[in-house]
Amino acid sequence: MKAKISERQLNKYSKNMDNTISAKDRIIAWPRMGRIDIPLKALMLSLGAKIVIPPANSNEALELGVKNSIEGICLPYKLNLANYIMALEQGANTLMMFQAPGSCRLGNYTKMAQKTLKKMGYEFDMVIFDMYQSKMKQTLQAFWHVTRCINPFKYYKGFSLGFNKFFAIDEAQKLLFYTRPREIHKGDAEKCYNKWLNIIDNTNSISGAKALVKRIRKDFANIQINKNKYVPVVYLLGEFFVLLDPYVNQDIEKTLGESGIEVQRQIWFSEWLEGVLKPSFLNKKESHRQKCVRNARKYMKRAIGGESIETIGDAVYAAKNGVDGVIHILPFSCMPEIVSQNILNKVSKEEDIPILTLVLDEQTGKTGYITRIEAFVELVKRKKIMRNSEMKKKKEDLVNV
Amino acid sequence: MVRQENLKKIIGIPRAISYYNNYTFYYGFFKSLGIEIVLSDKTTTKLINEGSKYVVSDTCLPVKVFVGHVINLLNKGCNTVFVPSIQSTGYKINNCSKIRGLPEIIRNVINRPFKMIEPTLDKTEGFGIKEFCFETAHQLGIRDKKLINSAISSGREMYNRFLEMAKSGIPHGEAVENAVKGNYVLKKMSLVKPLSVVIMAHGYNLFDERISMNILNKLNKMNVKAYTCLDITRTDAINSIHELDEIQYWANELDLTGTAAYFMLNKKIDGIIALSAFGCGPDSLMVDEIQYHANERKIPMLHLNIDEHTGEAGFVTRLEAFTDMLERKKRKQLLQCNKPKNIEIAINKKQIQEPKVLTKVK
Ligand code: SF4
Ligand code: SF4
Repeated sequence: MKAKISERQLNKYSKNMDNTISAKDRIIAWPRMGRIDIPLKALMLSLGAKIVIPPANSNEALELGVKNSIEGICLPYKLNLANYIMALEQGANTLMMFQAPGSCRLGNYTKMAQKTLKKMGYEFDMVIFDMYQSKMKQTLQAFWHVTRCINPFKYYKGFSLGFNKFFAIDEAQKLLFYTRPREIHKGDAEKCYNKWLNIIDNTNSISGAKALVKRIRKDFANIQINKNKYVPVVYLLGEFFVLLDPYVNQDIEKTLGESGIEVQRQIWFSEWLEGVLKPSFLNKKESHRQKCVRNARKYMKRAIGGESIETIGDAVYAAKNGVDGVIHILPFSCMPEIVSQNILNKVSKEEDIPILTLVLDEQTGKTGYITRIEAFVELVKRKKIMRNSEMKKKKEDLVNV
Repeated sequence: MVRQENLKKIIGIPRAISYYNNYTFYYGFFKSLGIEIVLSDKTTTKLINEGSKYVVSDTCLPVKVFVGHVINLLNKGCNTVFVPSIQSTGYKINNCSKIRGLPEIIRNVINRPFKMIEPTLDKTEGFGIKEFCFETAHQLGIRDKKLINSAISSGREMYNRFLEMAKSGIPHGEAVENAVKGNYVLKKMSLVKPLSVVIMAHGYNLFDERISMNILNKLNKMNVKAYTCLDITRTDAINSIHELDEIQYWANELDLTGTAAYFMLNKKIDGIIALSAFGCGPDSLMVDEIQYHANERKIPMLHLNIDEHTGEAGFVTRLEAFTDMLERKKRKQLLQCNKPKNIEIAINKKQIQEPKVLTKVK
């Protein structure tokens, strides 16, 4: 990984950047989403930056966000804004923002957040990571801008720590989803997961980070599970942010796992990041998106922004591959996912798969939400039992003939 | 030969979404391809209710209306329907997901057999107007290049004529009608009205008389001049957005921020009215953006949100309250500036309006 940046690009780039804060005074913060703070922290610290990590999303954060943003804007924005405010209160002066213009409202967020915060009287510099057109080069430039780090080795170390941690976290989470519904002693899987989050966070060597995934797999294999249990599988689909942040989705994965359902999520931060940053010629295997486009074709002929086509593609894939149900989650007023929701009704009927849509907003009460999930879980389980007995009968019929 | 075959062809155009901005173009284009056009009826409450049945309730009003219009066309026995997907109108200037995915929604919510003509306009990917038109023609089974090219130019011609008429001050509906009939009329002069406002709204909200509650007419009756997106050019709109130090993010932004920005900067308007449909994603952002600049310039702004249940009475009350406020403000301003000696300024509203009312009654 090279950190060479040609002068011309640099000039072009820093024109849009505020240079009033010198690199050594910068205190950097970024919005919270799931556990992306762990890898990003490793990366920023390797580059020698000072950072502030605002508290994880919570009711308090949401309230703060709602208070300072307009009605009708989407939930992710409100929480991001709250994260910024909290970080600024803790002394941050450089805010990182990840945006993907062209996909949705997200691209419009930055300016709005900037304006709101300025109006509230904060002084800061916002560095935008344009994840859409950027790929590796611009990302490096943005990092260079905030840290002024010119040592290529540090970049190498930072990025390899960061990437490996991303993969390790996602691996741990996948194993958690698999283990939780099958564990014999309730809580084992989660304990193991939390333990590993800690270890991941505290790993500081490249070799250590590279070994993480293997060690995690080994450790999870030690948890006692009931291998013969009937565990229905449910796909969790929907908008990126609500899928990845446990506060926003009210830890739906836990609720499902504890009621004996294996959750499979199709969107992973590590995979997404790889897709964005890796030059396309290195991607030999079909990417998740390409797979979705292929699967969704019967229902959807074009991508319409956001994660809509992924949602549809995965739902169809789920139905074709014996997955027992789909839960579709979206923030209130989310544009692409409302389109998905309209289409999913038909997918559910034609592909014969139960689909539950959950719309999340500030007022979503946890209880109402849980009753709906419970009812859905019952439905999925019943369906699974029915399907199994049907299959058995079919087999018997064959034998009898 | 080709033309004669095509004479039998019929295409249904829903009177919703892109109809309001582009119908004259579509008309010229399809007519010269030799295709008969069937339009859906005007939006009614019944039609909206019909459309709402097919989609989930969080869908925004204009899309519900669109679905209603498609159903209306199918009920009329028309089984080829034009449902374009307008993805982007410039490099990375995208439309709202629901407009991008209109064909996807229609395909999946209406379970009836019919043929959908679904061309894509996506300038980010290099699909411009020309490609859009060729795709349309191909889907209709027309492959004659020359014919299609000439159809495009007659579409353009008709569209330009419509724009000219609309710019001269002819109301949207009339301008469309005249353009389609081949008439060319221009409005000569119009009376100067005491108050003027600019309306920022999507064409499909503003010019649909049911959705907009006929706001243009109402304002006219209240003696308020309303400027709309039809009064300015694209370049003006874009430049004004830049002048406010903003960027065009949405494809349909020119009708909203562009229009509001232009009049805010260049004409002395007394107020801004934002008209948006309930549940619209982009609108909330654009309205907020303009609100910010309006506040800085101390221009009053009214935000009207409409959904299928919005009542006429409440709507009118809010509109009246707003125009009254504008009037009071203006009068105060006039009183404050040095009053020329020979001009009498009416102190209360009645003094201005009464003569007119009298003539009307007689
Ligand atoms: S995908 Fe949905 S939640 Fe995300 S920015 Fe777009 S509208 Fe908002
Ligand atoms: S721009 Fe707003 S009103 Fe128009 S389709 Fe999109 S969400 Fe609906």
